[in-house]
Amino acid sequence: MDTFFIWLESSTLSLWVRGESGWVMAFPIIIVFHALGMGFLVGVAVTINGRILGLAPKIPLTLLKNFIPVAVLAFVVNAISGILLLIGYPTKALTNPVFYIKLLCIALALWNLNWFNKAVLTNTAYDQGELPIRLKQLAVASTLLWACAIVAGRLLAYTYTKIMTF
Amino acid sequence: MLREISDWLESTMLSDWFISQGVWSWPMSESLHFMGLCLLIGSVGLVDLRMLGMAKGISINAIHKLIPFGVGGFLVNVTTGTLFVFGDADQYIFNDAFRVKLVFLLIAGINVLFFYSTAFQKVKALGPDDDMPLNVKLMAGISLACWIGVICAGRLITFYRP
Repeated sequence: MDTFFIWLESSTLSLWVRGESGWVMAFPIIIVFHALGMGFLVGVAVTINGRILGLAPKIPLTLLKNFIPVAVLAFVVNAISGILLLIGYPTKALTNPVFYIKLLCIALALWNLNWFNKAVLTNTAYDQGELPIRLKQLAVASTLLWACAIVAGRLLAYTYTKIMTF
Repeated sequence: MLREISDWLESTMLSDWFISQGVWSWPMSESLHFMGLCLLIGSVGLVDLRMLGMAKGISINAIHKLIPFGVGGFLVNVTTGTLFVFGDADQYIFNDAFRVKLVFLLIAGINVLFFYSTAFQKVKALGPDDDMPLNVKLMAGISLACWIGVICAGRLITFYRP
């Protein structure tokens, strides 16, 4: 594993992310995109969850599907910026259990969002009135998963034990 | 002048209290600050996008019901943000990224007052498929741009520490 970390951390792309190839703004700019993507992805997801729970009931639920492209774009931004951050500091992330908790929370929350998009936001019967309790439970679980992903992500800056192998 | 303000902020009981809450209070407040940001984008951001022409079919009157949740997120962030500034005033008072963030917040604040005093009553009456007047689209664009600016400048604060 150490050989892999050393190989990755000494790569041109890794050096560029860490600002060691001359341009120090690469890392801050990648982090900024990661925060923006979080805002739009979690923002759209949590609004859909809130609507499923019965908040803002005047919004026809199926029409929130129109905001799914925003969430998809935000996810792409965060997948790219996240992979770049991982390439910059692979040891720091991959030796920290909190990083795997974050990834697990995101994977489950995305799986749920994808299912809501396919099975719930397409059903016009849900546009008005109360939704089934099972869907509300999923909406609560999804909101908690996003919250955990955010906490875990923020804690990465405080809980790492090793920064670099290189 | 700024030196005095910074020293005063750090000498307050609020500053002492926040600092004495232990090592996890700062990262947990930051996490809340991020959650507040998500609520703000999920409400104000989506209302802005609707006014810009996305998600036709939802009336402004309906989507505007999201606004209280964005206000809630904003209040969480004003609270946690105040704790950060009192807790480590030097890091913010002498920080260019923080100053830029405040400018974006100020413009967003003026913009929102302008929107509610000049346009809201009219757009609230519009139908679910209606396009917004140009001045409303402009205000929605300014709002979205300002909140994006707030997030960008806010995230950059740590890289512009004095």
